[in-house]
Formats: sequence, structure tokens, C-alpha cells
Amino acid sequence: MSQQPIVVCSFGEGRDGLPPGAEEVLHIGRNLAQACEAPLMWVILGPLPERASATAGLYGVQNLHQIDDAKLEANHTDAQVAALAAYGKAQTPQAILVHQTLEARTVAPRLAARLGGAVVMNGISISPIGQNFEITASAYGGDTRVIYEVGPKPVLAFIPNAVIPEPGSGSAIDAEPFAVDLSGVEERIEVLEPAHFDGPRLDDADIIVSGGRGLGSQDNYSLIEQLAEALGGIAGASRPLVDDGWVDSSHQVGLTGRITRPNLYVAIGISGASQHMAGCSAAKTIVAVNRDPEAAIFQHARFGIVGDALEIVPELIRAASAG
Amino acid sequence: MRIVVCVKEVLDPDAVNNYAVAGRLEIGADGKTLTQTAIPRLMNGYDEQAIEAALRLRDAGAEFTLCVLSVGSDPDKLLKHAAALGAEELISIQVDPATLDPQATAKLLASQIQASGGAEVVFCGRQASDDDQGVVPVLIAEHLNMSVVTVAREIRLESDALTIIRATPEGDEIVRAACPAVVTITNELGEPRYPTASAKIKARRVKPTIVTPAELSLSAEEIAPKVLLKQQFVPEVQGNCEFLEGDAAQVAGQLLEKLRAEGTLQ
Repeated sequence: MSQQPIVVCSFGEGRDGLPPGAEEVLHIGRNLAQACEAPLMWVILGPLPERASATAGLYGVQNLHQIDDAKLEANHTDAQVAALAAYGKAQTPQAILVHQTLEARTVAPRLAARLGGAVVMNGISISPIGQNFEITASAYGGDTRVIYEVGPKPVLAFIPNAVIPEPGSGSAIDAEPFAVDLSGVEERIEVLEPAHFDGPRLDDADIIVSGGRGLGSQDNYSLIEQLAEALGGIAGASRPLVDDGWVDSSHQVGLTGRITRPNLYVAIGISGASQHMAGCSAAKTIVAVNRDPEAAIFQHARFGIVGDALEIVPELIRAASAG
Repeated sequence: MRIVVCVKEVLDPDAVNNYAVAGRLEIGADGKTLTQTAIPRLMNGYDEQAIEAALRLRDAGAEFTLCVLSVGSDPDKLLKHAAALGAEELISIQVDPATLDPQATAKLLASQIQASGGAEVVFCGRQASDDDQGVVPVLIAEHLNMSVVTVAREIRLESDALTIIRATPEGDEIVRAACPAVVTITNELGEPRYPTASAKIKARRVKPTIVTPAELSLSAEEIAPKVLLKQQFVPEVQGNCEFLEGDAAQVAGQLLEKLRAEGTLQ
């Protein structure tokens, strides 16, 4: 088996001292490196997050590389592509694993093209098969799974948020700087007004209460917010509510929104289309309230209440507040 | 100015979902294709919104030729619809989509855009609702050395630059991209329009230009798929829901009690 490394690539603004999704991807990277008997490398773009060195140790990373350059700011995708292409050419990895964020989706396919490799989104698992890799991914908004054979290398695989990482043990390793020359890169996209989101994030939430079309009208969305507050969670929504402008896109749970994995997910008036379930099926406990006893959401729910959201939710708020 | 919109034919995702939810979604004997003939084929919804994005620029006074480009073996319905909406130019790259992967598709589209006169703006849907990959637009940009802006929900065209509102998971972001640029359109753009009956009749006169991969002087290697579909299956859903019975107050009380007993809630 080839000894070319498996590379985990992280970028984007971190939380809790790590880049987004880093542990999930490191978990998959560690397993893949073991299966390929290959070293695991972790490359981070931008300033080194606080917990990176310690976390690298916990997942058996052999080399932690940091590429830092003034041009590597958030959303500077031209610089990010150039930096990672230089890195990829130097390390000749057999696979590059990336946490699937919007930013990564813009960067990594271009990286694949520059390295002459293949790229797959929505990966759930990856394993070696002969000279190639086999990647299981979701398709049709989660209605089906597909198994792809992917090659030639390097293969870029995207891992969404639905993996539960299991850190091992190991001592922290120091980051080694990797120098790139980005002097020739000029960003073609200018950010006039960055998106900024201050509130608690659905991705990190322990409890989420989401509303769907079954709420009837935009005014009733406040019930979702009240119930979320009463349960100590945060409010989300299905895609139709975002499409209809009831709430903005930062609330959307689903394939094209947030991929969440809370302990408790309460779905109110949500039918349970696969596109939505792709964003919450990793929840430990799903509770569904829906008027239609045949709604798909009940196939995923641990507890179900058949009834009108407008009657049930006020009672849930009362019961939760009484706790 | 020329604006190119790339469109793909897909199985109606709502119909696929309905079958899946009813537990009746079937995979054919090859182990990888959805074979239900009752599922309609239609234009990928995000691509329809990409055409809508171009039409809104035209509504706002921009002057350009609208070219709609598709890869597939039988694109007639798709391209007729595009013509009825206002596309002056239709191009069909004739190839069996089953022999392609996103990278090969992007190569074909990029080469054809270049060979047919280039584009100031390329609009694509954010992803196709069948494979959900969303890599084709980004690769087109890479091949044509254009900038790429994803998940646009509102676009303004000012001489040679675009101001774009992106619907990101962090909320709206406003960016400016110099042309030429590839822009992907997200569902937040809103409902696409329907063509009028008279436009549909007029559209019959717009004939698509048919192109084969051989005419694009791409080597076999360049359009060899790197991502091969080996198998497709319907994931199992556990389905052990415990339904709570009683009036609203009772079920609410029961639910909270159970969640607390399980330790899900404090």
C-alpha cells in the first residue's frame, strides 16, 4: 500500500478553539490512514486555533502544518486555492478530507482540478479499494445513498457534520509552518458586507426546536422561538419557511442549510422530507408534532404527537416552563 | 454581452421523496439507477431559478444574449422551456449522462462556452437535486479562469461587475465580482416564472444547436469519469415512534416527563 499521506484540511473561522468540523474529519482521516497504512497529516490555513496541537495528538496526526499568510483571510478563496494547491503538490497526498462548509465547497473542487484529482461531496464514509477509494455519499437530498469508486488520486472527499468523533489519546504535537508564495494572487471577489451571525449556532446546539409549514402562518413562528427558549434550546426552520421569507437562511436545518446533531430535536409541523432530515437525522432524540399521522417525520421520531401545532405547542411551552 | 445558463435534467425530487417516504423507492437491476417510470423528468429546480436570475437582470434593463446550455441525450423539453422563457440561443451537448461525472460534465460545458463565444456571466443552479454534488459550476469557473460566487439570492449587474447577495448559513453576505464570473443560484432567489402560451408557441422556432463531445476537441482522458457510480440504495429508517395520546395538555405533560426520565432534558 502506498505511503502517500492522508491529509485533513481545515480552514475557516473556528469555534471552541478548533476549526469547524475538525474533529469529525480527523476521526474519518485517522480511520482511513490506518486502513491505508499511511501517515495522517493535518493542514490548517490561517492562524493556529488554540486546541489544534492537543487535538492533533488525540487523533494520531503525524504532522500538523500551518499555512499562514495575510492573504488567507476568510472568503479569500483565490488565495486559499493557491495555498492548498502548493501544499498538495509538495505533499502528494492520496486523499484530502475536508469538512463540508460553504467556503470549502468553493475552494476544494478547484483544488481537485489543479491537482488533477477527483472530488466527491456529501461523503459519509471512505475506504481504500485497490488503487482507488470507495466513498459512500448521500444523494437525492438523503433519499438514497450512493457508493462511488473514485480515482485517480488525490481524492478530495467532503464530510458533512453528521459524524460522531471519538478522540483517542496522544500528546500534543507542534505545528510546523508551511511557506507558500501568494504574492501573485489577486482576489477576484470583494466582500462588501460580510455575513455575520452572533447568536448561538444550530450546529453546536444541544436542543433545537424547528418549525415548518404546518405552523400555518409566519406569526406563529414565535411559538417555535418561545418553545426553544423554554427548553433552553434554539430555534430552527425547514426550507419552505426560509423560501417564503418567514425566517432568514441562518435558521435553515437541512441539506442546503445547517447539518445539526443535537441531543433533542423537536420538529413542529415539519413533514420530514429527506432534504430536511439530512440536517437533523443525527439527533439523539427526535420529537415530532404533526397533524398528519402518516407524515414521514414520524418514521424518524422517538416520540410523536399527532395534532395541531397551534394547540400542542402552547401546552409544551407551559409544561417546559413548569419544569 | 452574453449570459450562459447551464441546465440539467433530473428526476423530480419531490416524486422521488414521496416514493422514499412511502417506502416504495426502487433501484433497478443494475443496482444503481432509480427505475420508476412514473417519476417525471424535469429541469433541476435550482437551474430553473438560474434562468430566472438571468431574466430578472433583463427585467432590470440589462441587455444581453441569453444562451441556455445542457448536457444530455434528450434535452428537447428542457431547452424548449428555456426558449419559451426568453433564451435566444439553445445548445445541447449530446452525450449519455450516465457516461459522465461532474468533472467531465464541467469540462464539456466549459469547452462549449468557450467555443461558442464565451460568456460575461455563467449562471448555474447551486447543485443538482439528484446527486447533490454542486461541483460542476465551481469547476467551470476553474477551467475558464473565472471567479465564482455561490448561493446567490439576488444579483445586480453594473456594467462589468456583479453585486451579489449570498444566502449563507451565517445570513446574507454582499460581494462584488468582476465579470466574467460564474454565479450559482440558491432556492432563496424565489419562484421562477412560467412562460406564457404565446411565448411557448414562438419558442418552437428556436432550434437548439447540437454539439457532440468530439467537436469540442477534448481528449478521451479529459472527459473520462473519475467518480464512478457503483451502487445506489435506499437507507433504512428505524421507525420506532412512540405516539403519545390524550389532549394537548396531557400529551405535553407526558412528553416532558419522558424526556426528563430519559435524561434528554434536565
